[in-house]
Amino acid sequence: MSKGFFGLKSFIPVAGFLIILLILPGIIPRFYTYILTLIFVTGLLAMSLNLVVGHGGLFQFHHCAFYGVGAYAFALILTKTSLPTWVAFVAGPLMAATVGLIIGWLCVRLNKLYFGMLQIALGSLIWAVAFRWYSLTGGDDGIHGIPMPALLDSINSAYYFILILLLICLIVLYLILKSPFGLTLRAIRDNPERCETVGVNVKLHKLAAIVIATFFAGIAGTLFVVVERSVFPDLLFWVFSLEVFIMCLLGGWFTFPGPILGAAMMVSLRTFVGAYTEYWTLIVGVILILLIFFLPEGVLGYLIRKSKGLRVGSAGEG
Amino acid sequence: MDLGQTITIPALCSHLLVGLSRAMILFVVTSGMSFVLGVLRVPNVAHGSLYMIGAFSAFSISTLLGGGSTGFLVALVLAPLVVALVSLIAERSLFCHLYEREHLMLLLFTFALMLILGDLVKMVWGPDYRSIMAPELLRGSATVFGAPFPRYNLFLLIIGPLVAIGLWLFSNKTKIGKIARAAAVDREMVGAIGINVSRVFAFAFVFGCFLAGLGGALVSPMVSITIGMDHDIVMDAFLIVTIGGLGNMWGALVGSLIFGITQSFGVLLLPQFAIVFPYLAVVVILIWRPTGMLKSVW
Amino acid sequence: MLRVESLQKSFDGFMAVNGADLVVEKGEIVAVIGPNGAGKTTLFKLITGHLRPEKGGIIFKGDSIAGLPPYQICRRGISLSFQVVNVFNRMTVSENVHVAVLSHIKKTSKLFLPARNHGMRKVRDILANVGLIDESDRVSGSLSHGDQKILEIAVALGNDPELLILDEPTAGMSPEETAVTIGLINRLTSEMGLTILFCEHDMELVFSIAHKIMVMQQGRSIIQAGPDEVKNNRQVQDAYLGGAD
Repeated sequence: MSKGFFGLKSFIPVAGFLIILLILPGIIPRFYTYILTLIFVTGLLAMSLNLVVGHGGLFQFHHCAFYGVGAYAFALILTKTSLPTWVAFVAGPLMAATVGLIIGWLCVRLNKLYFGMLQIALGSLIWAVAFRWYSLTGGDDGIHGIPMPALLDSINSAYYFILILLLICLIVLYLILKSPFGLTLRAIRDNPERCETVGVNVKLHKLAAIVIATFFAGIAGTLFVVVERSVFPDLLFWVFSLEVFIMCLLGGWFTFPGPILGAAMMVSLRTFVGAYTEYWTLIVGVILILLIFFLPEGVLGYLIRKSKGLRVGSAGEG
Repeated sequence: MDLGQTITIPALCSHLLVGLSRAMILFVVTSGMSFVLGVLRVPNVAHGSLYMIGAFSAFSISTLLGGGSTGFLVALVLAPLVVALVSLIAERSLFCHLYEREHLMLLLFTFALMLILGDLVKMVWGPDYRSIMAPELLRGSATVFGAPFPRYNLFLLIIGPLVAIGLWLFSNKTKIGKIARAAAVDREMVGAIGINVSRVFAFAFVFGCFLAGLGGALVSPMVSITIGMDHDIVMDAFLIVTIGGLGNMWGALVGSLIFGITQSFGVLLLPQFAIVFPYLAVVVILIWRPTGMLKSVW
Repeated sequence: MLRVESLQKSFDGFMAVNGADLVVEKGEIVAVIGPNGAGKTTLFKLITGHLRPEKGGIIFKGDSIAGLPPYQICRRGISLSFQVVNVFNRMTVSENVHVAVLSHIKKTSKLFLPARNHGMRKVRDILANVGLIDESDRVSGSLSHGDQKILEIAVALGNDPELLILDEPTAGMSPEETAVTIGLINRLTSEMGLTILFCEHDMELVFSIAHKIMVMQQGRSIIQAGPDEVKNNRQVQDAYLGGAD
C-alpha cells in the first residue's frame, strides 16, 4: 500500500531535497530565505486545510479564521502580557483548536454548503471584532514589531526553527492520514451515509478532523508571527481563506504534498511577479483560469497521473 | 466605548431609515447574486467586482457628462449596462465552456474573475479613491420624524421597492423570467423541452451582474469608491443570500433588511463595533435556520 | 430477536409504511416480499435508523431502537446491505471492508499507527468467505455489478452483525452469480449463525431459502408465515402472486 511518500524509491530524492533545504540559508540572500520561510508557514496552513477538505470532504471555507486566531493569540500574549514565551507558543495552537472546536461543533450538524456558510459567518464575526477592537488588536493596523526570543531573532534561525516544526507536523499529518482515523475520514468524504451504516459516528469524526486541522492552522499562525513579527486582520479575511483553498487545488488536493506545492507556487508568484508588476493578482487569476481549463486535478495530481498512467484515486498515494 | 447617541424616537427613526436605505442597495446587489445562484447553482465571487465596476463607471460617466443631475441619471442607466457588457464578455469567452463541469470549478472561475477584474479596475482607474456628489435634487437632507435624513437615502427608499417590483414582474410575467425560474428548479427538464440551457445561464449571469452594476451605481454618491469595495460587499451579499434562502428573491430582500437594520442599530448602540451586529445576526439565523428563513429554490 | 410492531412512516402525506409487523427469530432467514412500492426498502431504512418512524415500535434483542441514529443501531448488531450499491467507490475492495471492520473494533480514532496494523486478518477472512479475496486491491468502482453487490454484503459483514439485512441482494445478477449468492446466504446462517432478513423479487429464491416470509402490500403487512402457508394464502395470491412470476 505504501510505495508512496516514504517508500524507498522516493526516499532518496526527498532526503536530497531536505539536505538542500538545510544548507540553503548559508548560500542564498536573506530575502530568499525569508520567502522560503514564508512558504513553509503557508504550506503548513494549506496542509492543515487539506486534511479536512481534500481528505475529509468538508466545505471548510474560512480556515484562515483559525490561522488568524492562532497568530493573534500568540501575538497578544507576547505583547500584552508578561507570560513566558513558551506559553505563547502553546497558546496559539490551543486557542485555534478551541475556536475550531466551538465553530466546528456548530457547523458539523449541517451539510456541505451550509456548513461552509455558517463557518464563513462565524469567521467574519471574528474578523469584524479583530478589525474594530483597536485597543486590543490594533484594529485595522494590527500589531507590529512583536518581540521574539533571542534564539529566533535572525531570519536564519527562524528558518531552521520553522523548517523543523514543519517537518514534524508533516510527519504527524502523514501518520494521521495513514491511520485508521485517516481511512475513516476518507470513507466519510466518499460516502458518509455508508459510514453511518457501518457504525461510524460521522459527526464526531468530522469534528475531530476539524479540531486537528485547526490545531495545525494555529501552529502555522504562530509561526507566521515568528517570521513576520506582526499580525493584522487580513489574516482573518475570507479572501485569504479562499486563497489557501486555491493553493490546495493548485497543488493537487487528493495528494499528500500537493498543498505545499500550491502554497509555494502562490507565494512565489506573489513575490516574484509582484516585484515586476503591481498587477500580479491578475496574473494569478489568469493562471487559475488556465488551471481550471487544463489541469483540474492540480499540478501534482496531473504529474502523478502522467507518471502512473491512471486516474488519481484514493488519497495517501504520496 | 461610548454608547452612541442617546436613544430618542427621532434617532431611532433616523437610524431605521438609514438601515432601510442601506438595505435597498444591498437588496439590489444581492438579488443579482441570488438570481445567479438560483439558476447556475454557483455563488458568483466576482459579483463584488462588478458592483465596483458599476460604481467606478458611474463616476466616470457622471464626471464626463459634467457631474450634474442628468449626468448622474445617465450614469445610473449606462453604468449597469457597461457592467453587463463586461460580464457578457467574460461569460461568452470563458465561463460558458465550464457549464458541464462540477460546481467547484465554476466557483473557482468566478474567483479568478474577481482577481482579474480587480486589477483591471486598478489599471483603468488607478488605486486612488474617487467620489461623486449626488445630483442637485437629491443633495442635502429633509426632516423626517424630527430628525435630518439625507435626501439621497429617501431616493433609495423609492428605488429599492421599484426594483423589487420590477424583478418580481420580470420573474413571473415575462417569458424569459419564467424560463430562468424553471431552469433554477430543474435545468434538465428545461433542456429536455428544447430550450438552450447555456443561453439561459448566460442570460442569468449577465442579468445578475447587471443588478450588481446597478447597485454599484446607486451607491456611488454615498461612499468613497475604492478598489477594496469588491471584497467588502461580496461576502456580505453571500451571507445575506444564505440567510434569506438560496435563490429566493424575497429572501434576498428579507436578508438585506436584516443586515442593513442591524448595522444601523449597531451604530446606535455600539458604534465602534457596528459591523459586528449584522454578522452576529447572520450567525444566529444560520444556527436557528441553517437553510435560510425562506424557502431556497434548490 | 427483532420485532416490528405497527410501524408507520409517511412522506409528505403519502403513507409509505402503514402498519407493518415483523418478527424475526434468531438464526432464521426471513424474507419480505411485495409489489414495487409496497414499502420494503422504507421498512428496512426504518429498522436501520435511516428514517424515523412516526408510530409503532422496533425492538431488537429486547431494547427499543426506534429513532436511534444509524451508527448506534449498527453498533448493536444490525447491518444493512443496500439495494443500490453504496460502497466507497474510490477505495479498493479491501479498504471498503476495512472501514467497516475498523469501525466495529472501535479503532477509528487511532491516529498514529498505520491502518493496516488493525483488523486486516478479519478483512481477509471476510473477503475469502464471500469469494472476493482475489480482487482485494481492485478499486471497487471498477468491479462488475455482481461483484459490487457481493462487496455490499462483505462490507455489511465487517461489523460482525447478528442480524444482517439484505435489500434485494441479487438484483441485476446473472443466474450464476445468484446461485453463488444463495450459497453465501446459506453459509452465513448455517456456519456463522447469522440471522438474515432480506427482500427480493425473485420468488424462486425466496421460496427456496426463506424460513418465514412476510408479505407487504401498500405499506401494510398482510401475513407472515412459512413458505407453504404464504403460497396458499388467498389474499397473497390475489394481491401479488396471482398470474405474475
